[in-house]
Amino acid sequence: MMLSKPDAGTDITLLLEGTYPFVRGGVSGWVHQLIEGLPEFSFSLIYLGAERAAQGEMRYRLPPNVRELHCHYLMDGSELRPLPGREGDPAYFQDSARLHAWFCKPEGAPDNAWLDRVVLQKGQRQDACTMDFFSSKAAWEQISDSYNRNCPTASFQSYFWSVRNMHTPLLKLAAIAQTIAPSRIFHTISTGYAGLLGVMLSQRTGRPLVLTEHGIYTKERKIELQSMFLREQQGWFNPMPDAGMEHHNQAWVRLFEGIGRLVYGAANPIITLFEKNRERQIADGAAAACIRIVPNGVDLARFAPLRARRPDATPMVVGLIGRVVPIKDIKTFIRAIGVLSLRLPQLQGWLIGPEEEDPAYVEECRALVKSLRLEDCIQFRGFQKVEDVLPQLGLLMLTSISEAFPLVILESFASGLPVLATDVGACRDLIDGKAPADAALGRAGDVVPIANHDALARAAYLLLTDPLRWRAAQQAGIERVECYYQQSRVIDSYREIYQRAG
Amino acid sequence: MAGIGFELRRMLQKKSLVGRGQAYAFAAIIGSGPWALSIVAILVIGLVNARHEFPSDIVGQFQVSITCLMASSLILTSPLQLLFTRFVADRLFEQRSRVILSNLFGALVVTLCIAGLAGMVALSLWFNESALYRLCMLTGFVTLCAIWIVVIFASAIKAYQHILLVFLLGYGVTLGAALGLRSFGLEGLMIGFVVGQICLLFALLALVVRQYSGDVLVSFDFMRPGQVYPSLILIGLFYNVGIWADKFIFWAAPLTSVHFIGPLYASPLYDLPIFLSYLSLIPGMAIFLIRVETEFAEKCERFYLTITRGGTLGQVTQAKQELVEAVRSGLLAMLKVQGATTLVLLLLVDELLVWFGISALHRTLLSIDLVAVVFQLLLMAILNVLFYLDQRLAALRLCLLFCVSNTLFSALSVYLGPAFYGYGFAFSVALTVGAGLLVLLQKLDQLEYETFMLQPVIF
Repeated sequence: MMLSKPDAGTDITLLLEGTYPFVRGGVSGWVHQLIEGLPEFSFSLIYLGAERAAQGEMRYRLPPNVRELHCHYLMDGSELRPLPGREGDPAYFQDSARLHAWFCKPEGAPDNAWLDRVVLQKGQRQDACTMDFFSSKAAWEQISDSYNRNCPTASFQSYFWSVRNMHTPLLKLAAIAQTIAPSRIFHTISTGYAGLLGVMLSQRTGRPLVLTEHGIYTKERKIELQSMFLREQQGWFNPMPDAGMEHHNQAWVRLFEGIGRLVYGAANPIITLFEKNRERQIADGAAAACIRIVPNGVDLARFAPLRARRPDATPMVVGLIGRVVPIKDIKTFIRAIGVLSLRLPQLQGWLIGPEEEDPAYVEECRALVKSLRLEDCIQFRGFQKVEDVLPQLGLLMLTSISEAFPLVILESFASGLPVLATDVGACRDLIDGKAPADAALGRAGDVVPIANHDALARAAYLLLTDPLRWRAAQQAGIERVECYYQQSRVIDSYREIYQRAG
Repeated sequence: MAGIGFELRRMLQKKSLVGRGQAYAFAAIIGSGPWALSIVAILVIGLVNARHEFPSDIVGQFQVSITCLMASSLILTSPLQLLFTRFVADRLFEQRSRVILSNLFGALVVTLCIAGLAGMVALSLWFNESALYRLCMLTGFVTLCAIWIVVIFASAIKAYQHILLVFLLGYGVTLGAALGLRSFGLEGLMIGFVVGQICLLFALLALVVRQYSGDVLVSFDFMRPGQVYPSLILIGLFYNVGIWADKFIFWAAPLTSVHFIGPLYASPLYDLPIFLSYLSLIPGMAIFLIRVETEFAEKCERFYLTITRGGTLGQVTQAKQELVEAVRSGLLAMLKVQGATTLVLLLLVDELLVWFGISALHRTLLSIDLVAVVFQLLLMAILNVLFYLDQRLAALRLCLLFCVSNTLFSALSVYLGPAFYGYGFAFSVALTVGAGLLVLLQKLDQLEYETFMLQPVIF
């Protein structure tokens, strides 16, 4: 998709995986504000999606400084005719074996020469690597060798397809990288596939790669994979769990870890939102010297007026603003509301957020509501404008088992709403304050351990029923956001980062 | 959080190999199997008549007419033989046997229309014998074409004893009727043949209809684009043309051919030894059928099942080695039995010549043919193994080589003179078998590689 012809090279190419402008969410909102906030730079967007068919419509109106939008789909493809057999380039596969070894045991920096050859496919005829990978004897040797070395008792059929499916998106990325126009700066908003594409582009053009990581991509993929493997092994319809498959389940994790490490190696600066993630990035292979912390910010002008729209008495409504997906642990929210409603019968729990991402999970949640007989106190309200819903809430509750730096917490604070969150990501820093001066502002709500609906209910009860406590939390939130988390500070930081990098 | 998760489930999903059923064995021998029986019948009719001082030119005309019908019907249906075989095998594999019967009728409709049309055109263009003779030729031609189609569907149910029984019955009737009606001359013999063949056709049909049930009477699913494998059409065509190429050349060459009736020529000096030699293959073919249908088919299925049921690479390789061993021992067993038979026949070659009233001049030709058909048996076996492994391209190349080399070498042998008769065919099959063995060894050697790596991929 091309919006307008670029008259000059773009300043910044943003690499976006499964997010802006097609998926609503915290990261997408952040990207949108960044582009809007920096009208002096021109942007071009590379969107990586899974399948074209699953693609919704655009959720944001692209600001005028977006020059181009290109979409690529890693899971789509057309069937290649059965290929004729071929020998394959042995040198390429030797380098590839070394890269795999480095993925398994990341000692030292990867050698740029073989990185170039394997990842970027430099010096290879176009498509040669893809053809080699899919049909050559050399590829067969490598796959069967690695199988024999690592998991000789697993189903070979599954292993084989797993290897294919694992590599197909990477080969596709290499092909995509060839099509992308040069740009002053490449800026990827995650590691993973978008990050790897950034590595390829930066290597190919010699232009700098900037990485902003909101969550930790590798960690999220791990959670996803593990829950999936668990689900698969418990399946009633799968009486024979894939014995010996641990290796290649691990291989998926290693793949994302390895990609992460490649991206950390190539990006400078690496930007993260808060301290905990900085530590995590260092543990995952990022150089401490490259990391900068730029927290999220919120547009005060948008949210401050909401304070006046609050009713005098605290509304007995607890809201969760976020997608209805497993990582948000909606079920714990439902159970916590169940416990709360025993003591506060008039209490309402609202689930505010899009439900299209994981319909099966939404179904499970609705079933849980029904089985707990909470149909009267819990409402699935779908996606709503935050500004409309915030003044109606008495408390924002986030039950996520993993979060990065939830923008919605800042928005709540700015609108004068305390927050009760699980102790993940930056939630504690935001609610309790980090630096001494920050902490001195007081607690803007409460923080509890994950997956503990009783603790959630207790903390919520205290906040909702004690007006003094509630007022103090509201005040702390407003002050914290005004001192530390203004949108203009984020924009200024990125202006400076772009100016310095480019 | 950014990131799609990319529907990892889909990326982890297990694809399964396309399953394939097998019933090629019979198809491979219908090019040379059932008509071995018909050769016996023709020969017996000829011999019995000769004993009874029947005019020999009529017997000759009859034999040549029947040979012509056999050759033309086999070649006309050859593009369809393997195609139907595959179609039936695939449907059986999918456990959709209810669609088979209606497709058999569909196939028969198509075959009968084409055969009837082609037969009428040929008869009106080139024959001006009696109307009864021409009617017999047309009916015989259409009936034979139908038989070759029905026998494919019959062989898919693997009731080989029944099929054999039906054939024996059919040819018994043919023989009896031909002998009973011989006082009516050529037409009498022809009517006898046609009646016998029609009995055979309906007996076969009864066998098939009893076995399958269906919901509609006629359907043409087998002609849908997805079902048509062009390679199978060409393989059938080249293989059958290849088998007849040397005979055609000897019938066409002025030096070796004799005119019999209408446009029909034959080459008695060349035809009789080679048809006799085909008869010598009966023991080898029996072994081939038994070994291929039992041991090899089983090992082959085991190999693919090992893969689809989550076997380890070690188990897959093991299954392949057993498969290779089954091929080796099957070919060896077949060669042993056939070799012994052929050896005995070679020792008895002088007696054979006397029994069948062949001039001693053709002693060498008969000996060469006896050896050459052993190679043809091997070729059949190799093609069959390639079909099982779904190596259609390799099979196609072999059939093309056979067809071309048999044409060229036979033409050359006619040109070089009587001392070389038979060598053309012999060299051609030997060459093709040599190439076939090499291809087979290579394919077996890299079977795992090809099975996994050369599947279609989505990219």
